[in-house]
Amino acid sequence: MLKYIIPTMMLMPLTWLSKNSMIWINTTLHSLLISLTSLLLLNQFGDNSLNFSLTFFSDSLSTPLLILTMWLLPLMIMASQHHLSKENLARKKLFISMLILLQLFLIMTFTATELIFFYIMFEATLVPTLIIITRWGNQTERLNAGLYFLFYTLAGSLPLLVALIYIQNTMGSLNFLILQYWVQPMPNSWSNTFMWLACMMAFMVKMPLYGLHLWLPKAHVEAPIAGSMVLAAILLKLGGYGMMRITLLLNPITDFMAYPFIMLSLWGMIMTSSICLRQTDLKSLIAYSSVSHMALVIVAILIQTPWSYMGATALMIAHGLTSSMLFCLANSNYERVHSRTMILARGLQTLLPLMAAWWLLASLTNLALPPSINLIGELFVVMSTFSWSNITIILMGLNMVITALYSLYMLITTQRGKHTHHINNILPSFTRENALMSLHMLPLLLLSLNPKIILGPLY
Amino acid sequence: MLGLCGRRLLAVAATRGLPAASVRWESSSSRAVIAPSTLAGKRPSEPTLRWQEDPEPEDENLYEKNPDSHGYDKDPAVDVWNMRVVFFFGFSIVLVLGSTFVAYLPDYRMQEWARREAERLVKYREAHGLPLMESNCFDPSKIQLPEDED
Repeated sequence: MLKYIIPTMMLMPLTWLSKNSMIWINTTLHSLLISLTSLLLLNQFGDNSLNFSLTFFSDSLSTPLLILTMWLLPLMIMASQHHLSKENLARKKLFISMLILLQLFLIMTFTATELIFFYIMFEATLVPTLIIITRWGNQTERLNAGLYFLFYTLAGSLPLLVALIYIQNTMGSLNFLILQYWVQPMPNSWSNTFMWLACMMAFMVKMPLYGLHLWLPKAHVEAPIAGSMVLAAILLKLGGYGMMRITLLLNPITDFMAYPFIMLSLWGMIMTSSICLRQTDLKSLIAYSSVSHMALVIVAILIQTPWSYMGATALMIAHGLTSSMLFCLANSNYERVHSRTMILARGLQTLLPLMAAWWLLASLTNLALPPSINLIGELFVVMSTFSWSNITIILMGLNMVITALYSLYMLITTQRGKHTHHINNILPSFTRENALMSLHMLPLLLLSLNPKIILGPLY
Repeated sequence: MLGLCGRRLLAVAATRGLPAASVRWESSSSRAVIAPSTLAGKRPSEPTLRWQEDPEPEDENLYEKNPDSHGYDKDPAVDVWNMRVVFFFGFSIVLVLGSTFVAYLPDYRMQEWARREAERLVKYREAHGLPLMESNCFDPSKIQLPEDED
């Protein structure tokens, strides 16, 4: 594991000690090489995880998330180059350092064996993200957004700390590898109900669950592009990953404790999809789309069947890449028009046809077109929820229709139609932007050829 | 006819920035009057109104100084190197070598081994008349239970 942590730590001196003209080149280059080494984690066994040491391990659930994390850093660096070009050198280096710090904490979160270590790293990821949102966001609302983001997550996760310390005292160890064999069935009692809630609420807020999702549109919209990318692609998945780990300890009361959250998620995914149809702000639409997709993941994790876990893992990776790409596309619009209003810059297909191709691909994967991995994830979730309860197919089907509706609405509003006269003079797409989009899309398309690596530990 | 040609020539000359005429002459076939432009040689005036479609003054057009800009940096040399680094390391190394690595992963999660092992065990058990599968995971005779305490 040190072979990922030490190079990532060394990216920090690389940014601070590089020549002024070379900071972006150096960081992009070395973060790309680190993402290459992350593929080594794919040597997974069938019945065990890769146990690097007492502190770090990586199994088929954390491996795709780790690869996604390490792949996203060079993409974030590339996406931020334009809007940071006016800042002074120290601020640029500080921004990159925040991204690297975040990457470091995320790597350690996904590979932690000890659950308290996981918790500390889980909370630690909040700090660089908060700094990125509040310092480099573009509107005054970013302060409010940072507050919502920080306090929602903290309030949800403080009970988790108490619960973890309680488990440490009763079970004797919080090492996840040992816990999975020592776990006892949790008897039904009031205190165990609260224990279940304490364990799960942190991850519910992070996912986010429908009722607790208010921080997400604010944070995603106000964050700069790198912040939006990492929030949508990875930080939401921290919640899913945590839920999949912690539910091991919480059986069998999950059978009935999960009902309110399944109901909230099933209803919430339709609500947030419908809200997407009424959005004027492009980034807000993509943010609500994230809530909708993550609601599917919550349902999948809570019903705890093998197929639903496979669907949840696939959906997390697929949504990470798709959502990050959509935010990059929205940012390419924003950098030209300086507004996130969708109808303000429409008919872009005539002006920027190659970017329109990327918009098309991103929208198609967002609406889960076969044979993309988005479809594989959604299909597995729909199938497993159908077998859990037949009625959910109505809600799932309705959600897929509305998802298609708003994805196409976003595509048609921004790309099709007559372009507005005031965007006549927008600059052609840069090579940087096209490279960024293809670096998002190609892994997505390649994964549809070989999805077994993202299907998680129950494959 | 000649008037039309005259007008086209005027338009062509105007777009090319040449003075359309050096003397004033009136066309005999049409009512066109061709005169040297009073604005020739004068600089266009600054726009008095700012329209929304004008680019923001703070916006830097990377294509202005460097028409071959790749969008990374103002300095053309750094820009080209950045582009090369991204394409070489991003596509040629990570995507190509990475997907080759993933494609040739040996028996991910031991699926193929599991199938071979299952077929081998089935063959063995059918040959020896043993049941294909037993409901006991462990041999019950080997489990030592603690004594019943009353």
